[in-house]
Amino acid sequence: MISKKLAIDVLNASLATGADYSEIFYEDSHSHNVVIENGKVETSGSNSLCGVGLRLLKNNQCVYGYTNDLSKKGLLTLAESLSKSFNDKRLLTVEKLDMIKCKNRNPISRSYDDVPVEEKIALVREGIDEINSIGDPRIVRTFGVFGDNVRFVAVFNSKGKWFKRTTEFGRMVFQVIVADQNGFETGFEGPGAQQGIEYFRTEKVNPKKVARKAAETALKMLTAEPCPSGKMPVVIGNGWGGVLFHESCGHPLEASAVSKGLSCFSQNKIGDFIASPIVSAVDDSTIPSQWGSIDIDDEGNLGTKRLLIKNGKLNDYMIDDLNGRRMGRVGNGACRRQNYRYIPTSRMSNTYICNGKSTPEEIIKATKLGLYAVSFNGGSVDSTTGEFNFGCSEAYIIRDGKVCEPVKGATLIGKGFEILKKIDMVANDLDLAQGMCGASSGSIRTNVGQPTLRVSEVTVGGRGGELK
Amino acid sequence: MGKYDKFFALAKEAGLEEVELYVSESRTLSISLFHGEVNEYTDNNGYSILARGILNGKCGAATADVWNAEKAKWLVKEIVANAKVIENDDPVFIFKGSEKYKKINTFNKDLENVTNKQIMDKLYALEKGIKEGDHRVVEVAGTEYSQVRSKFTLLNSNGLNLTQKNNYFYFVGQCVASENGQTKSGYDFAFSSNFDEFDPAKLAKKIVDQTVAQLGGDACASNKYKAVLHPGVVQSLMRAYVDYANAEEVQKKSSLFIGKLGQKVASKKVTIEDRPLQKNAFARWFDDEGVATYNKAIIKNGVLQTYLYNLTTAAKDGVQTTGNAFGGGSKKGISPAFIYLKPGKKSQEELFQEVGNGVYITDVSGLHAGLNAQSGNFSLQSTGFMIENGKKGKPLDLITVSGNLLELFSDVLEVGNDVDVSPSGISASSLLIKKIAVSGK
Repeated sequence: MISKKLAIDVLNASLATGADYSEIFYEDSHSHNVVIENGKVETSGSNSLCGVGLRLLKNNQCVYGYTNDLSKKGLLTLAESLSKSFNDKRLLTVEKLDMIKCKNRNPISRSYDDVPVEEKIALVREGIDEINSIGDPRIVRTFGVFGDNVRFVAVFNSKGKWFKRTTEFGRMVFQVIVADQNGFETGFEGPGAQQGIEYFRTEKVNPKKVARKAAETALKMLTAEPCPSGKMPVVIGNGWGGVLFHESCGHPLEASAVSKGLSCFSQNKIGDFIASPIVSAVDDSTIPSQWGSIDIDDEGNLGTKRLLIKNGKLNDYMIDDLNGRRMGRVGNGACRRQNYRYIPTSRMSNTYICNGKSTPEEIIKATKLGLYAVSFNGGSVDSTTGEFNFGCSEAYIIRDGKVCEPVKGATLIGKGFEILKKIDMVANDLDLAQGMCGASSGSIRTNVGQPTLRVSEVTVGGRGGELK
Repeated sequence: MGKYDKFFALAKEAGLEEVELYVSESRTLSISLFHGEVNEYTDNNGYSILARGILNGKCGAATADVWNAEKAKWLVKEIVANAKVIENDDPVFIFKGSEKYKKINTFNKDLENVTNKQIMDKLYALEKGIKEGDHRVVEVAGTEYSQVRSKFTLLNSNGLNLTQKNNYFYFVGQCVASENGQTKSGYDFAFSSNFDEFDPAKLAKKIVDQTVAQLGGDACASNKYKAVLHPGVVQSLMRAYVDYANAEEVQKKSSLFIGKLGQKVASKKVTIEDRPLQKNAFARWFDDEGVATYNKAIIKNGVLQTYLYNLTTAAKDGVQTTGNAFGGGSKKGISPAFIYLKPGKKSQEELFQEVGNGVYITDVSGLHAGLNAQSGNFSLQSTGFMIENGKKGKPLDLITVSGNLLELFSDVLEVGNDVDVSPSGISASSLLIKKIAVSGK
């Protein structure tokens, strides 16, 4: 940890040439990962990260550097080197640093530092045993992983503020590879939370249930026929289905795209209809103990709940202070980064479409012929054009209001701003799912989520010919 | 005393039989422009260390990014704790060294003397070139320069001490074009270690041309088409295809190349090599276990020549390692250093003529979600053009192409001569494919 006195010296050195904002981001974190492959502990590894990132702003310009030399000399050298990017008169001097107080909504009852590796192995092994108990010879390879992370961060800035926070995360992952004479399929489940290891022994999340789900999905997909292609109604499952909104609308509503006019929603103003009136959507970093929650963001703004879309109308964005300058706004607690090696920017936290009035059963029943996309491998988007794609990991054909044969290899493509308007039914079974989101400020933990919903028409790519 | 002696002494005290440090040091300078102004300037000095050690025949690992006595102690403690829980019985190695190393120099001193003024001049020229490249360009979404210097050192208790230095730079530009209410974006990059060689006008033209060419597109009818794949598409698909030669995947029965050694796995037109000793930014004369690397054919005229090995998988198969240990922690990953598709003789235009009527696929996205690495099945969002009467025709919008990697590489009719090298270390040219499934309208 660096002292407040040293932080003041470094901030003032960095401000000497006219920067209008300076910020020190100190990080000391460690993580551990243990992998059980085919029933045996395959690898166990510990990683530690410790460094300082220094960010200077002047108008719309950002200067950034990081170092692992945490000595006074090392930090002052970095400050002086970065300050050379400007050559104006000093605008600011930092005299003192006051602590920002924030709630701790993500308390950990027992730190991962106090959980012996044997306990993590025993937890994962229960899941692997469950997969083995299925006794299906088509299961050729199994992985069980437990990963945890304890992260201490301290931020000092030229507004005379500082804060520190410690966060802890755990994630349990099962991956199952199955094969028959026709080829391979995989099943994957990976729940995680900002909670201690006890989270993974509950009714909803426990190794037996999670591991079995991964194996069963893989086996189901192994016998599935290739997905038909063409335009069709698509019912998207709750939880992981929210990756649709995350990719196609979440990213284009980040200030990093909006502020530069590079978002497909740049032309829209607050209050414009950008979605069907039955759609409301939220990015909420304040849900206790959730995977994507933050009490305070990486530049010292408190975490908030942002109502992005209200009954179909554009209502808010994810904003960081720097991009906010271009938008005439201030940050709303969305500034995040993977670690000290990345420049922070506006990112999502727990992003989801709100509950509607239908039930999942009603939606299936109302669909004559279409695709039921239950879960996804992930996807990507071009925020400027709104073009997205994502691959289904579990999908079925709906015929005459009933879920019928499984299909594999389905890819959904389209433009986010078009899809939002084509959502014609939203159910009441909202669920969240955990993922890693990659963008310019690195890979961060985010939740996606939604209730079951239907899009009246989506372009589906697959190898199965026309849907009949 | 050497900087790392303390670590080796502590490791010995803790009863570790053999230990190794892999140290990476880097400096990255990046400058990005937006609307004629420096938008971001970064100057990063990175340091990271991977420590591995063997205790009772099991290998534990830990990483850190600062170095001091306390950290050395922590690394030893973690290696011991991690090694103790490992159950995998595979043989593990801290390497004693290859007989001979073919050292190659991949560090260009001149690049270190490039000034910020020189960089800014080229960045401004790139931005201007994109902005003024076509009347349909509505925005230069960004231009960026990055210069990377890296050094990695492998040190172990068997006396191995190897170091390689490397530097390169890249320019990247992104363009947004619009016409009749349709918006398209495109980007491209140029990388090298010879700064004077970079021509901003050429890169700007390439970016603008490929962005505006997408305007006015529509989906084609869903069907199977004869196709030409752009080198960039071939690079993306070839990366996943070559992974089937990973010996660990083969040994663990999750590769499509099981039992295929010496057999046909692709069309006879296809020859794919791993060329770690090719002199470029990707060159590696020793792998991450310290083994001397060498150039080799993975697939020759369609026939699988070898699997790719590290020390552990080679010992299990009773063969020599191929020097392909890259990445990973206690257990080293396996990958090629530089993938090289042997080019053919025909130009892209000649390939179009051979197709007659079909599609030209210029980009695929969403590989992490749309490509099943195990089965080789893919269904990917794509962009491209129709090929009509042997010529490039109208652009295609919102289509997906789907197929299977094994079938695709077996369906190669011709390899083009338009070689392109990707920043991920893959050299490829256009491929003419017998048929590919396109979903459109």
